[in-house]
Amino acid sequence: MTTSVRGDSHIGRRQLLKIGLTGTALLASAGGIATLSGCAADRPAESFVQLRDSDLPLLRRLIPVVLDGSLPTTDQQQAIDTILQSIDSALNHMPPHMLKQFMQLFDLLASSITRGPTTGVWRSWDKADDQTVQAFLQRWENSSFDLFQQGYNALTKPILIAWYTAPQSWGSCGYPGPPAI
Amino acid sequence: MSIKDPFAEGLARGWKAHNASLLTEDLTLEADIAIVGSGAGGATSAEILSAAGYKVLLIEEGGLFTSTDFKMQESDAYPTLYQESAGRASKDGAVLILQGRAVGGTTLVNWTSSFRTPEHTLQHWASEHAVIGHSREQMAPWFARMEQRLGIARWGLPPNDNNDVLRKGCEQLGLHWAVIPRNVRGCWNLGYCGLGCPTNAKQSMLVTCIPSLLEQGGELLYLARAQRLLLEGDRVSGIECLAMDERCVAPTGHRIRVRARHYILAGGGINTPAILMRSDAPDPHKRAGKRTYLHPTTSAWGQFEQTINPFYGAPQSIYSDHFLWPDDSATGRMGYKLEVPPLQPGFTASMLGDFGQPHAALMKQLPNSNMMIALLRDGFHPDSAEGTVQLRDDGSPVLDYQLTDYTWEAVRRSHLTMLELQFAAGARAAAPLHNDAELVTSMQAARRMIDGLDQRRYKTRLGSAHVMGGCAMGEDPSQAVTDSLGRHHQLENLSIHDGSLFPTSVGANPQLSIYALTAKLSSLLAERLAG
Repeated sequence: MTTSVRGDSHIGRRQLLKIGLTGTALLASAGGIATLSGCAADRPAESFVQLRDSDLPLLRRLIPVVLDGSLPTTDQQQAIDTILQSIDSALNHMPPHMLKQFMQLFDLLASSITRGPTTGVWRSWDKADDQTVQAFLQRWENSSFDLFQQGYNALTKPILIAWYTAPQSWGSCGYPGPPAI
Repeated sequence: MSIKDPFAEGLARGWKAHNASLLTEDLTLEADIAIVGSGAGGATSAEILSAAGYKVLLIEEGGLFTSTDFKMQESDAYPTLYQESAGRASKDGAVLILQGRAVGGTTLVNWTSSFRTPEHTLQHWASEHAVIGHSREQMAPWFARMEQRLGIARWGLPPNDNNDVLRKGCEQLGLHWAVIPRNVRGCWNLGYCGLGCPTNAKQSMLVTCIPSLLEQGGELLYLARAQRLLLEGDRVSGIECLAMDERCVAPTGHRIRVRARHYILAGGGINTPAILMRSDAPDPHKRAGKRTYLHPTTSAWGQFEQTINPFYGAPQSIYSDHFLWPDDSATGRMGYKLEVPPLQPGFTASMLGDFGQPHAALMKQLPNSNMMIALLRDGFHPDSAEGTVQLRDDGSPVLDYQLTDYTWEAVRRSHLTMLELQFAAGARAAAPLHNDAELVTSMQAARRMIDGLDQRRYKTRLGSAHVMGGCAMGEDPSQAVTDSLGRHHQLENLSIHDGSLFPTSVGANPQLSIYALTAKLSSLLAERLAG
């Protein structure tokens, strides 16, 4: 439930149109592009089963923005690590077709070639400030292109579920947890 | 006090259950009757056919989890007990589809609401879809039998406060409401039916028909995906199953060949038509996978002064059918059944739109909030939204579900209805679940906002917990996959016994419709096979 498009745009309407029309192809080939540009490895990152090193900067910036107002201000890094482990476990239980879609989405966002034009985030993720990340999410949510609207859900939902199924979040939403039986 | 785990005890006593993930070589299993799917249709059929003296093998793709495993944790339940890790959705991602996938099927995780098939629905199937022999009078003894079998009775305790919002709203506005019949015995009123019942109170297939099958000497094969039927002429000669790893994600490489005299598909809407399609089963009129329905479900969020704690207590105990049959007709405007869902925080967080501070502000109100849902009755009107099952390149099924203007009209109407009920029940603020909606504090503001909402996919948050149809029954082979007794029109030793038989949506939570119909079909099948 959001009210309006906030934040300014890094990409004009015409540019977005162009990306939208080729978006499916972009998504499908993003893995290849990303590999060429040397930013994606198929190996999982250390202590993860599915998430790769190239996925982590993106998720580490997205998580605190998506969960702003709920993540603790102290020990925030620990909470983010918990969420990353939970997302990794979720990916590891997904059917192959769904896992592949997530990996393609992450590749699209991680690749220095595709990131800027599709997200408006022109510098690397670890240098993107909160406002830039917010503007990107709002742009995708309110895009007239299905691909971006779907991408918005695909990025935000797993983070929301990973956090709110974790006991560390329950204080922030007044949930006492399951009863003892 | 420790809770007994009768399923674990049965296994310890020597029930025959094969965990396919542990196979170190290929396996062949033989039975009189092989059933694919251990949910409402498959397990009901298994119990009845086994009691009639047949050797029954029940095949399940998902894993085996019993009461000891159910810790009331969303993080455990979603990846293990639901199809596609609880991320199943329509092909375009517009409708989230919650379906069970474990021994017991969706009965393991449903919210226990148990309604007889509405009379309007049965009449519509008879008059429009050439279904014979399933009138209200003809079905009544089967409903009664399964109600008794599964302890189905109107909930006897007061509704939790989440359900009570629906009751109060209806009372205030003078609308129909009633208490929901539930399939429970000795229910603790905890509220975690959707995550696997930790006390075995829910009379799911895991604690009723499957134990009965195994006690009678039947066998269970789990973590085995029925990949395809092997066909010889107009007969099924076997089922090829793939052993799945313990996550139920990837095949291990071992295969299970199943041979039987008769075969029953009961994988539910989506999976049952998919097996037929993967098998290249004869389908001269291209009916497999067509007419698949979802009860697309809209939702509304209401915030109250008082504490509601919508995560605790029997999840569904009050319903209203006031808007189910507008104009007292099945084929008029699309109607909807009103209920509430349980609101554990992970589920709630994923339903509410937005992110960051606005999302966190909504979540902070969780203990004081109600959610209401409207289940839209799809499939009765020619302009209704409709789904078609397709296969991806890897053979996995996906439902292409197309929304229509006729359906969006009902979406908008349901948003208005739910907010009116929430305000009548005393909500201080409410909003329909739509990305552009905002909390409003009066019905006047609600009307203005809802009139202005762009109702379209992704913006409007839609879900479904009921997949119905896709292998419709009916006497006309050009319209239906099976006859009214679930016998495949083209393959003589194949039956379908699950919710995919329904020619439209049910217009009510479907489990009792599936139990009663498949009990009847199985009893008749047992007689035929003996003859």
